[in-house]
Amino acid sequence: MGFLFFGMTIIYGISGIALNHHAARHWDPGLITRSTTLQYPETLRKADVDRSSIEKILEITGEKENYKQYYFPSQNQIMIYLKGGHISVNMQTGSMQLTKVRNRPVFNELNYLHYNKPKKLWTWFSDLYAFGLILIAISGLFLIKGKKGIVGRGGILTLAGILIPLVFLIIYLWL
Amino acid sequence: MQKSILWVFIALLAVSCNQSVKKEGLTTEAAKTEKIVAATINELLASPADYQDEEVAISGMVSHVCRHGGQKCFLVAEDGETQIRIVPGGEIDEFKVEMEGSTYAVKGIFRVLNNEQTEEHLEDHESKEHHDVEQSHSAAEKAEYFVEAIDIKDITP
Repeated sequence: MGFLFFGMTIIYGISGIALNHHAARHWDPGLITRSTTLQYPETLRKADVDRSSIEKILEITGEKENYKQYYFPSQNQIMIYLKGGHISVNMQTGSMQLTKVRNRPVFNELNYLHYNKPKKLWTWFSDLYAFGLILIAISGLFLIKGKKGIVGRGGILTLAGILIPLVFLIIYLWL
Repeated sequence: MQKSILWVFIALLAVSCNQSVKKEGLTTEAAKTEKIVAATINELLASPADYQDEEVAISGMVSHVCRHGGQKCFLVAEDGETQIRIVPGGEIDEFKVEMEGSTYAVKGIFRVLNNEQTEEHLEDHESKEHHDVEQSHSAAEKAEYFVEAIDIKDITP
């Protein structure tokens, strides 16, 4: 069973670490975001912005091929949407921030599985894996006999493994 | 032992396949009896009580998709300013970042939170990580109105 579930353990292990850091550091494991600041040669006014000014911005940023749509989130800002990102233009200063977004390889795929996005058969296979983990954990308790087993050092470690999460629950949730 | 595990796995697969077929049947039945109200975003927000819990069909450009699991996105109304929050429902699990800047037709249930629910929503909103500065979709993010999407379709011209 350990051999069968090796791949699954790696998937859930790596994406589990990513998930921890996603919550703690606001790091998005599924996406890579890169921002570059560029300058438009002049300031702009909302009333004067038209297709030609948008085309000029796209030319400067080299994103002509990726244009989707634009709108004005505020009186001083233009948001130009691109395939794989966007350009935010400050009309008062002419400052343009080009943000490119793309899927993070490997993590994107691992998260897809960890969050059970495929559903259907994957639900059953991952349930089977979880059931297997429980089986491995229980049978593992009785694998080593004697002083190092469940009646000796193994028992102390098992107890520690149960108490540590309990201490966190007492401190962070129940108190 | 190994044979038993294999048989358990095969049995689980068979049950899973059978359930998928049943679900499809139910969806087809539901589609026959549905009643959808076509409205603009501004119409919904002008008289929310008239549309509360109704199945509505709206459209607009997606201005933002929440980066935390894609659990909400925002549609810009025809006036280019008003925005409405869309949350996933039905078979939709999440919204993709790639939706930003595209025009989508959304079919879903228009929900209006009561005072207590709105307070809870705002508390929940404050407790989580959000944008450091006010965004164009901030008002819609905090609003008591939203659409629970059942179906979405890219209709970008």
